[in-house]
Amino acid sequence: MVKYQLEIWGEMCPIPLIKAQRKLKTMENGDVLVMETEHSCTSQGIVIWAKKKKYGIEETEVANGIWHLELTKTHA
Amino acid sequence: MVKSQRKWNIAFSAFMGMLFLTLMQVNLKIALIFVLGTGLGFTLQKSRFCFVSAFRDPMITGITEITRAVILLIGLSILGFGVVYQISEWTHLSLSLNIFPLGFSTIAGGVLFGVGMVLAGGCVSGVLMRIGEGFGMQMVALVGLLIGVLAGKSSLAFWRGTFGEWPGIFIPAFLGWIPTIIFELLLLGGLWKLAYWWQNKHLGE
Amino acid sequence: MKMLWKDFYHGPWPYWVGAVVLAFLNIIILYVRQSPWGVTANIEEWAILLGGKVGIVSESQFTLTELMSSSGTYLNLGVVLGALWSTLVASQGRFRPIRQKKFVFSALIGGILMGYGARIAYGCNIGGLLNGIASSSLTGWIFAGAVLLGTYIGTKILIRFLV
Repeated sequence: MVKYQLEIWGEMCPIPLIKAQRKLKTMENGDVLVMETEHSCTSQGIVIWAKKKKYGIEETEVANGIWHLELTKTHA
Repeated sequence: MVKSQRKWNIAFSAFMGMLFLTLMQVNLKIALIFVLGTGLGFTLQKSRFCFVSAFRDPMITGITEITRAVILLIGLSILGFGVVYQISEWTHLSLSLNIFPLGFSTIAGGVLFGVGMVLAGGCVSGVLMRIGEGFGMQMVALVGLLIGVLAGKSSLAFWRGTFGEWPGIFIPAFLGWIPTIIFELLLLGGLWKLAYWWQNKHLGE
Repeated sequence: MKMLWKDFYHGPWPYWVGAVVLAFLNIIILYVRQSPWGVTANIEEWAILLGGKVGIVSESQFTLTELMSSSGTYLNLGVVLGALWSTLVASQGRFRPIRQKKFVFSALIGGILMGYGARIAYGCNIGGLLNGIASSSLTGWIFAGAVLLGTYIGTKILIRFLV
């Protein structure tokens, strides 16, 4: 299992999603993608997308209005 | 760590209460409108509602959750507008609905609007909502909006003169209210199904 | 019960809940205001007033007092303050500055295009699309199709230049 950091800080919707989709393609099953954003809509969008895609997703609020996301690639 | 912003919240709530009381002294209707507007902003932010996302996400991820929520919002609004229209007929309340002129500018404007809202990261209500959320980017977008609106206003004569313009078509005037509402709801239901199918198709890949 | 209260103030609410609440408010506003919720018309009034002050617009059709008593102003002010309130009750309030230069241009260009388009098409997503369709106006439906096409082009531009 490898943990990748994805730089989406300050990026506007939908750039984080596009970057995450691209990064996921290069990852192996079981790898984790770590992202952090201060955009409420971006965080919610990624969570819903990941849930629908049946990836593992964990969202935590690490500071006021900052969300930390850990997405696990569970399948191809 | 997440620190509670209760102090800010209490101070801001007090400010909102005072603003409301002040407005009530001036004009009751305005005070009510302000409360309703606050409700809109609150709901838009709490539910992360975004019209840009409704149009854009199906093209990027194939997820149509917001798209279908927007279709639901439009459907409920059609029903509600029909009811309010009937009530206003009975009570002789003058009601002005949004029946706007139709022309080539409707299409050109719609396309420019669509491009703009993707680049600005929010449609007009989304820009206002995100200014409330504290985004610097949408504050810049608002400046752009003010400039764009003035430019659009001054070129209105050009669009009218070059391509012409027809009065807006109020569909119930041709079909009657009940058939119009049924027709529109069926159309929206079809779009809802299409959006749902689109999402399943993309998730299946 | 306690869980429900926390869901209410902390959120995020599901999208469909937002849709139902927005529809309810939208309908009440139509009844109270006797015209539908709109955003751009009021922004235009402010643009004319501010433009008059700066000297871009010659004819000043609005006075500050008139705008301060227009219902559109309070709808828009309400949206901004309501969203701020919503972030504060969830302890998510913070200033979110622009962190990359490209977004300054993107926001400015996007805002101008959006304002121009909304003005020549008589309405934005709220007044033209949502409430245009809710008013059963054919223009609303056509505008919606055009916005969809515009979003497609905009997304292509975004992927090409901003990602």
